[in-house]
This record gives sequence, structure tokens and C-alpha cells, in this order.
Amino acid sequence: MRKTILNINNLSMQFGGLKAVDDLSFDIKENEIVGLIGPNGAGKTTVFNCITQFYKDDTGEIIFENKAGKIVDLNKVSVTKVINHGLVRTFQNVELVKDLSIIDNVLIGGHNQYKTGVLGHILKTKWAKLEEKAQYEKALKILKFLNLDGLKDFYAYGQPYGILKKIEIARTLMCNPKLIILDEPAAGLNDVETKELAELIHQIKDEYKCSILLVEHDMGFVMDICDRICAISFGKLLAFDTPKNIQSNKTVQEAYLGGNDDE
Amino acid sequence: MMTYLKQLYKTSYPFRFLLFGIVLSFLPLLSDLDIIEFSALTTWAQIIIFAVVALGLNLLLGFSGLISLSTAGFMGFGAYTITFLSNRFDLPFMLAILITLAIAAAIGVFIGLLSLRVEGIYLAIATLFVGEILQQIYKQVDWFSGGFSGVRFHYPQFNLIFTTIELTRNQTFIFLVACLVLVMTVIYNIINSRTGRALMAMSRSEHAAQAMGINILKYRLVAFVTSTVIASFSGILYASFMRGVEPTTWNLNLSLFIIAMVVVGGYKSIFGMFLGAFVIHGIPTFWLNEMFASIPGFAYIFSGVLIIVIIMFYSVGLIHIHHDIKKLYLKIKPYVIKAYKKLFTKKQEKGDKNA
Repeated sequence: MRKTILNINNLSMQFGGLKAVDDLSFDIKENEIVGLIGPNGAGKTTVFNCITQFYKDDTGEIIFENKAGKIVDLNKVSVTKVINHGLVRTFQNVELVKDLSIIDNVLIGGHNQYKTGVLGHILKTKWAKLEEKAQYEKALKILKFLNLDGLKDFYAYGQPYGILKKIEIARTLMCNPKLIILDEPAAGLNDVETKELAELIHQIKDEYKCSILLVEHDMGFVMDICDRICAISFGKLLAFDTPKNIQSNKTVQEAYLGGNDDE
Repeated sequence: MMTYLKQLYKTSYPFRFLLFGIVLSFLPLLSDLDIIEFSALTTWAQIIIFAVVALGLNLLLGFSGLISLSTAGFMGFGAYTITFLSNRFDLPFMLAILITLAIAAAIGVFIGLLSLRVEGIYLAIATLFVGEILQQIYKQVDWFSGGFSGVRFHYPQFNLIFTTIELTRNQTFIFLVACLVLVMTVIYNIINSRTGRALMAMSRSEHAAQAMGINILKYRLVAFVTSTVIASFSGILYASFMRGVEPTTWNLNLSLFIIAMVVVGGYKSIFGMFLGAFVIHGIPTFWLNEMFASIPGFAYIFSGVLIIVIIMFYSVGLIHIHHDIKKLYLKIKPYVIKAYKKLFTKKQEKGDKNA
């Protein structure tokens, strides 16, 4: 039996009168890929924003076993501290610094790993130099792993979409993550790139020993790589099961294809 | 040796700053040899002082995407505080600098905490009033600033063990150049560290920055305080080169001029700040004011038009112009060669016919 690392209990989130997430519960186990699916406006990204603490006024519990093995209630963690626990995310629309080189973009992901402060950087102390070098090497290793090391000194500006998505994933790997949250990683990619991405996600899972939670509209992709799938509609849980069972689940089919309420 | 220096030039920016500083240090010599006028050295010193303050503002405007209209106010703060501390308490110059910068940092933290929760136009308004308040203080509080008549200061004095030496005008100029190189290096080190990357990430995408663990308010504050301290530092340099401070200098116009320097020189560039200071302050003072003496305030028209043109057509800043010149050169080079060859062969043909 694998350990559970993220436990979401009765999560609800309300915007005015709209219940974006309604009493949702699911969990993620160690070294597992979980997909979160649902029709447009089902509240998938809202769930992500709740987990990563961008939205603070949700109710319910988000219990996470961090990389030190401690159990934390993420609702008590501020948004900038979430990454310290080993939980990191990407964004639906790629959010990179366009006018920085690719390797610098990756280094941003290591922000909280530094121990030296501004004064150390200004004076270029030996300790600060060593630390910068160690981080640089780590970033380079990640880029090599993703086959991007040839591009490291180019600006992120003007790179093709597939590369940008990969850079965002590289950035998440800098913090030794325990759980990576990917918001529509395959959106805007062509078939070949999507296939590559599926392989890459498996490689990341094995290499970095982490779990992955992802939102995606490409059903083939989701069914292909996920161990379990959580289907939601209008913020409510429809089913949480293996891809095979999800495909044959009546309520899920109804939510996607439209039910026969009128008859 | 030569190859080693070349290698160093290619890899190390601080070495380039040093070289740049050494070149600038020859200006007093030119002035002594009457190659440039006596007053031109003052203009060059002002350019250096403005380059220093622009470097600080660049951190705020170019890297962090924040605006401040109180830059001139903080410059004035540095200038007045150093004279106050030196004249009233007879503190050694270096100690007075440190105290001034410490107070400036404290004020920066205080104002930053109050105003950095807002951004964009609101931050501009908040800092505009901070600048105005500071200027009123310089005009009205006689015991601190000497009121409308201002205060007198002297060239930097350094206490040695037995005596105190006061720098000459030329030595003070070289002191300014050294300070410029120092500030350039400091800014370079900041922007190429974790702090610089955090500032860029924060201004380009707040959400991504937060997800990567960057505390937005903290880094805004870092940028604001650094820029305040550097502005005060340039004020200190101003007071010590001009040997005095007047209250009317530190108005909104100056703040806008400094913003113009950052924009014209090129966001995010270090040498660009010097270029910007030269274009905005140097060119009018050296040439335009004399040429267009019949039009009062021509410098304002010039910098205003220049800002509009630069923002509309060349938003990367003038510092990048050499890339484009090079590109243009490479583009027209084949045509030039062709034309030259054509001309050459025609001449030959003509020569043949004549023969």
C-alpha cells in the first residue's frame, strides 16, 4: 500500500453566489499520476489555486505530507511558502520571464533554496559565489534531462510553445518537488509534442520520485498517462477511479456529452 | 598579458566598468590642458551624478516595473543630510556618508511600506507627493537646509592620522568616477543574482513569482530601498562636487529628467544609464542651449520629444543602437561592394574604350 501524500477533504470555494468547488474530496498517493478532468468551467483551475494557496478563503482541509516527511495543513501556509514544502505548479498560460535567458528562468525556481542574502550578492562573497555555482549546475542538469541544454543561454522570448512549456516544467524541478501540479501541460502542443510530453512526465515521475497532479482536456493523453482520474463537474466530484472505470462511468459520460434531463 | 586582458574584457563586466572609469578619469587632464572648457568638467560631473541616480531608478523602473516620482527628493535628502552632518556635527566625510545612507534606507523602508501596496498610477501619485513634501522641507526648514538660500559644502575631506586633506576639484571628479564604477558594479551584482531574477519574475508575472516562493512586497521593498539609497548617494556626490545645495534643484522636473534618462538610455542596461544621462543632460548643456538660446527651455522640448520618439519607435533604448547599426551595415555591405565593383569595372571599360 502506497502512502498518501495529499489529502483533500471537503474542499469548497465560493465566488459570490457561485460555488466553484463544492465539497470535493480526493487524495494523491506517493509516486502516482492523478488527472483532474471536467467540462469547461468545472472548477479545475480553482482547485489548483486552492491547493497552492492563491485562494485563501476556501473551506475544508488540504493535508500534505511535505518533503521532510511532516504533515502540514496547507491552508495555514502562505502562498510563497508552499514551494518550501515540495509542492510546485505550472500555469495554464505559460508564465515565464520572456526577457531572461532560459537557464535564468529555471534558476528562478530555485529561489528559496538560497541561503545568502542581498548583501552577500552585492559583495560577491565566496559563499554566495559557491551557492550560485551549485544552483547553476543543478539547473543545467535539469535542462540536460529535458534536452534543453543547447538552448540555455537563449532568451525565453520567441521560443516555440512546446519549449516554453518544457521550461516551465524545468523550473518546477528546481525545488526537489514531492508533488508537481501541471495546469494543462499539453494545451497548444501538436501530436508529436504531446507524445513526447507523456513520456517526459513518466520520466520525471521515476527520476525525481514525485507525484503529479494534472488538469488536461486531451482525453487520450489523460487516459494514457494517469494512474487515477478525478472527474468533476460544477465543482462536484463525479467519480474518482482508474482511467478504465472512468471511461465506462455513466455520470462522467453524461457530464461530457450532456444528460437526458429533459426527457 | 594582452590576451589575458582581452579574455577578461570579454567575460567580466566589472572589468569593463573599471576600464570605462579609467577613460573618464582622463577628463580632468583634458580640462587642465585646455582641450575642454573648465565648465565642461562640471557638466561631465553632473552627467556622472545623474548616471548614478539613474542606475538606482533603473532597478525600480526597468527591473521591478515600479515607478517613483520622488527620486529628486531623495537626491536632495542625501545632499542636505551630508552637509548638515558635516557642518553641524563636524563628522568625518566617510562616517557622514554611512549615516546618511543608513537614514535614507530607513526612510525608504518607511515610505515603501506605506506606498508599495499600490502600484501603477497610484504609486506614481504617492511618490509624487513624497517628493513634493521633501522639497517643501528643504525650502522651509531653515535649521536643516538653510531655507531658500541653501547651504555651502566643501570638496570631500578625508581624515588621515595627523591631518585632514581636502580633495581638489580634479580629484573630486575622479572620486565621482570611482563612485560611478562602484555603483555600476553593485547594480550588476544585484541583477545577476537571485535578487535580480526575483525582481524580473515579480514584475513579469506576479503569480508565477509567488508560486516560486518570491515574496512580492519584500522584493518591491528591496528595489525601492536600494533605489532610495543610491539616489541619496548621488545627492551626496552632487553636494560634494558643487560645494553647496540649493532647494530649488530637487523638484519634479529633475525626477522626470531622471526617468527620461532611464527610458532613453535603455531599460535594464547599465552603460545605458550613462548614455541616457549624457543625452538628456549633456547634449543640451554642451550644445543645444547655446545654439537655441533664443528659445528658453529648449532642453525640455528636446528631452520631451526624444522620450516620445524613443518610446514609440525604439523602446529598447539608445544603448542598443550599435547592434542595429551593425545589422544595417551587414545588410548594405553586399550592395556597397556590388556598386563599388560596378563602378570599378565601368571605369575599366571606359579606360579600354579610350585606349
